Amino acid sequence: MKRYLFLLLILMLFCGIGCNDSNKVQTVESVEESETRVYEVFGMNCPGCHGGLEKLVKKIPAVEGAKANWLQKQLVVTVRPEFKLNDEDIYDAIRRANFTPGNPIK
Amino acid sequence: MGALISKNASAAGISVDAGLTPPEDRWIVRTQFRYMHRKDDPTPMNKEMDTYAFPLVVAYGFRPDLTFMVRQRVKYRKMFMGGSISRDTGLGDLFVLGKYKLYRENTRDYTFGIASTLGLEFPTGDDDFGSETWDLKPGLFTSWRSGPWASDFSIAYKWNGFADKGRDGLDPGDELEVDLAFAHQFSIGQNANISLSPVLEFNYKHILADRMSEHRVSNTGESLFFVSPGLKFTKSSFIMEVLLQFPVWQQQQGSQLKQGTRLIVGTRFMF
Repeated sequence: MKRYLFLLLILMLFCGIGCNDSNKVQTVESVEESETRVYEVFGMNCPGCHGGLEKLVKKIPAVEGAKANWLQKQLVVTVRPEFKLNDEDIYDAIRRANFTPGNPIK
Repeated sequence: MGALISKNASAAGISVDAGLTPPEDRWIVRTQFRYMHRKDDPTPMNKEMDTYAFPLVVAYGFRPDLTFMVRQRVKYRKMFMGGSISRDTGLGDLFVLGKYKLYRENTRDYTFGIASTLGLEFPTGDDDFGSETWDLKPGLFTSWRSGPWASDFSIAYKWNGFADKGRDGLDPGDELEVDLAFAHQFSIGQNANISLSPVLEFNYKHILADRMSEHRVSNTGESLFFVSPGLKFTKSSFIMEVLLQFPVWQQQQGSQLKQGTRLIVGTRFMF
């Protein structure tokens, strides 16, 4: 019985390492193919403002990363390569953060 | 002791951002240390009192236009009287508040917001630390931001004992609070991820006298006006604020202690 448990443990360990490896490969590919979009955001007035917006934007499945800059009034969004990002989802997140979307910058 | 010292003499401080509701799904945990000193006893007893209050506030952005907040404070009080010292610790009343966004305009040049609040204070505090009544507190807050400049205005009325009366049928006096705050933000760091803001607040509080059997209770009711300079430090999801409140004008009814300079040190964590 102990032997079976030991074998099972070894199997799980290998599986875990294998899964991690495949994740790493996926991440590297994602970085290579990521699209970046920049949005104008009005209403951020201090360095403490951006956190709430980034939290909401990162909940969108197509978003890989989000970084807001209150001084430049900009939100930089990195899109997951396997997803299609709808700008309207970003505008909705900006509004739910109590800010106002401006024009898309690029 | 209660007859000579008002229990509800805390004038709000650090009212910055009051008119701007936080984003949806945003948690804010706010802790404060408040030091209050009472002195100049007009009676021969020569009383003096130090109060240390530790309020803890947890707020949550339930919707973009609706925020809920819960506040509980612990107080430690030290009384000097005729060479002897007495100490007392207790919990204040539990306070629950809802803030609703009435208006918000964000433009390239400025941000303006109006929010209304409705608070309910439960009679859960310990003896001499709570009001012993159900209290309702509606308020109106406005905030203006333009470049590095910020200003906030708030007015709140606390209807003490709106549904009941206190011990021995005491009807505690209502309270009016008016706060005005100005701040100028200096950005620090390459990406301006830190800011330091000198703050100047003007805090007014008027407390009506308590009543019992339709008669005014002596030694209750007062008016306080503070000029309060302070400093606010902001870094990403952390804020630290310090405020000194100087009582430039005050008027007490009867033989109450005078209000001395007060100190507020607070932190805010947002996540």
